[in-house]
Amino acid sequence: MDAPFPGRLERIDDVRWRLPCDADRGMRVDGVVFADADLVAALGDDPALAQVAHVATLPGIVGASLAMPDIHWGYGFCIGGVAATDPGRGGVVSPGGVGYDINCGVRLLRSDLREDDLAGRLERLVDALHAHVPTGVGRSGPFRFVGRELDALLAEGVPFLRRRAWATDGDVEHCEAGGVLADARPDLVSDVAKARGADQCGTVGSGNHFVEVQVVDRVVDEAAAAAFGLEVGAVCVLIHSGSRGLGYQVCDDALRTLRGVPERHGIVLPDRQLACAPVASPEGQAYLGAMRAAANYAFCNRQLIAAQVREVFERVFGVPWQRLGLDLVYDVAHNVAKLEAHVVDGRETSLCVHRKGATRAFPAGHPEVPPAYREVGQPVIVPGDMGRASWVLVGGPLAMERSFGTTCHGAGRALSRKAAARSARGRDVRAELAARGVIARAASRKGLDEEQPDAYKDVDRVVDVVHRAGLSLRVARLRPVGVIKG
Amino acid sequence: MAWQTFEHTADVGLRIEAASLAQLFEEAARALASLWVDDPRWAEDAEAAVADAVARGGEPVEERFALASGEHAELLFDWLHALLVAFEVRRALLPLVHVEVASDEAGLTLRATARGVRVDPALQPLAREVKAITYHRLALRREGARWTAEVVVDV
Repeated sequence: MDAPFPGRLERIDDVRWRLPCDADRGMRVDGVVFADADLVAALGDDPALAQVAHVATLPGIVGASLAMPDIHWGYGFCIGGVAATDPGRGGVVSPGGVGYDINCGVRLLRSDLREDDLAGRLERLVDALHAHVPTGVGRSGPFRFVGRELDALLAEGVPFLRRRAWATDGDVEHCEAGGVLADARPDLVSDVAKARGADQCGTVGSGNHFVEVQVVDRVVDEAAAAAFGLEVGAVCVLIHSGSRGLGYQVCDDALRTLRGVPERHGIVLPDRQLACAPVASPEGQAYLGAMRAAANYAFCNRQLIAAQVREVFERVFGVPWQRLGLDLVYDVAHNVAKLEAHVVDGRETSLCVHRKGATRAFPAGHPEVPPAYREVGQPVIVPGDMGRASWVLVGGPLAMERSFGTTCHGAGRALSRKAAARSARGRDVRAELAARGVIARAASRKGLDEEQPDAYKDVDRVVDVVHRAGLSLRVARLRPVGVIKG
Repeated sequence: MAWQTFEHTADVGLRIEAASLAQLFEEAARALASLWVDDPRWAEDAEAAVADAVARGGEPVEERFALASGEHAELLFDWLHALLVAFEVRRALLPLVHVEVASDEAGLTLRATARGVRVDPALQPLAREVKAITYHRLALRREGARWTAEVVVDV
């Protein structure tokens, strides 16, 4: 199941590598990994490559089983995996292609504040964020949604919060899909999932989730940066979280429901975590309906975290957040399956695009890009690590043709959690970050150790690959100055 | 301690070993609890850790479980998932467990009594969130007189 990939990668060009289709192993299409030679060398015989080959066996898969340069070992699909299936040709949907944290994603707030405005206030700001925005395991938030309220939130997403004045028109417009996946089915979300999610909307959680205060330290594309409201020295806030316990449980429920289903449809799977059902089947439709509800919960979670961040800024800077210009640049999902229109063999076709640890990156002119950004393209937000940098990119010209409009989602882990914790023994990660100019506050020391900068690949390298591959283009680099974590 | 963690890039693997199937399920509960709590005493001596938490004002809790499954590995999955739901929904941290496992033609049944404390971050500093128990590398087998299991936990 997690044995190394027995074949070998063939170089297509500087940033693309092919795992040739091997019918004897059940592959229906090639695998294609976006990476440079160094990243490929670092991958070695990582089981993630075998996972790319496994995904290539899924019925109805179109084009190739793709992996982004932040590829690493996941469950079923690798992290950084992308697969599009054609429902009209028996294409399947797989919860393993979305992951446990449905619609885990990021949102970026920009502001009119400059780095100078943080002088003498940054520590207070980070402490206030840590005190006010719930982080870490076992922390519930000030919001609680049960019964019809929770069902409405699951069905309507961020527009539900706008009706409650917890979101603005701009917040709705600047979310992927307008902050709501249509055809969500709250009635198919289990009671256990709803119980797990009741008091977690508006909480960050733990693991790799965070809220970071950042400063724009470089602008590469002036026109796109101007459209996104970003300029050098501007203070921003990056929020990374997902659908919390509710989404994890929806995935778990689906994997149980799908026990035996692939066999009933005559589907042979190389890995149980790839459990799937034809998109058109009742089981496939049921998963998609529940998954969309969880995705809507995640959009709302990040919106309510943003609402709390705005309250903290108001308190620390003494003016309403609107006067600080603390507006949403964009909110993107990086664990989701969506039906999207793509061109296959010259014909527009509705495909079920799985992105697991991968970000939608639609180019300029695409009708799903909000009007304010349509001339430049969709903003793509790529968090790096808490010591180095994150990036804002924009959907690239080759994304639709090469990756179903998709790019990377982060730096990708270089060290396992256990290895990172081991390397932090005898060190003080918080003090090291402070020496680099980053104030870090975490609910647990273990969380900070496991998420230290060295645990991740260099995000600049990963971004360089997707830029050169034309999937998404560099706009601005952001440097962290404050971070709160679980 | 009849369990240890093993490497998995973004998550945590548990390898558990015991002299009987029931003991293996008991060890698995202790292993899972130790992932949540940022205090090695919970891994080394859960009985003492629970007693200490109660002595400092923690609310003792006890829950009963009855599960059925067609196969060993799935029963382990369902058991750990039941403990995860107890933790998240009822805030019950339950490392002290007595398990009985029976098998017949219909499959396997597990009955358990689990004790512990109501989660209170002030009394038990919590290390990490457990998102899910996964099927990835899930295995449970008998090797001679020993039972062993592997399970990867998404954190």
